[in-house]
Amino acid sequence: MGEHTHEMVFCIINSGFSETVMDAAKEAGARGGTVMSGHGTANKEAEEKFGIPIQSDKEILMIIVKKELKDDVLSAIYKVAGVDSPSRGIVFSLPVSATAGIKD
Amino acid sequence: MSDDNEIKKTAKRQKEQKTTNLSPIKLELVVTVVEKKKADFYADLIQSFGANVQIKVLSKGTASESVLDYLGLAETDKITLFSVVRKDKIKPLMETLEEKFRTIKKGRGISAVVPLSSVIGKLAFGFLSGEQRMIEGD
Repeated sequence: MGEHTHEMVFCIINSGFSETVMDAAKEAGARGGTVMSGHGTANKEAEEKFGIPIQSDKEILMIIVKKELKDDVLSAIYKVAGVDSPSRGIVFSLPVSATAGIKD
Repeated sequence: MSDDNEIKKTAKRQKEQKTTNLSPIKLELVVTVVEKKKADFYADLIQSFGANVQIKVLSKGTASESVLDYLGLAETDKITLFSVVRKDKIKPLMETLEEKFRTIKKGRGISAVVPLSSVIGKLAFGFLSGEQRMIEGD
């Protein structure tokens, strides 16, 4: 505890793609994740401007990984679920300052 | 010209004062994933460490269908708790959670802490941090 050893990877994707994303993350070393449901709020104008149709039902996948695995997990997810893929994934990570219940 | 300098100096002093007026209390976001049935227990536990705001989100674990069938499990329903806790309470909270995750029957879970970089609004900050003085406007 105290030093920054883990990262929390968030992946916002269209509904139904969480298993695909999780498989990719697991291949890069992640062990498990949690899926929450959400609703996208992108507006019509943005859809037309970027030419990307927005499906509003979203899944938010949250994966906690060791700091050294973060880059591999992010790029593995991006390959299968980037913004130009059908899942239209937005992937980012946050630093975790302490954890409990996570085995090394 | 000297007036200009005076104004600049005053502005600089005010800016410095503003910086030093920032609260020394830091807040963190605690994200905890537990079994649905144990969510209330863990929410109460985290509340006892001064969390005034907690959000419960119905979630699912990511064990695949094939693994669930193999293990004979029907559901993976979880609750994700988002709780705002003061930084000085994080260490005892995480130690308690670690112990509860290990010892409570079907009470396994994970928890991770993400620092909050800013909060706007004195009242909101007072509420989140449990600082009574700020709520009373002292």
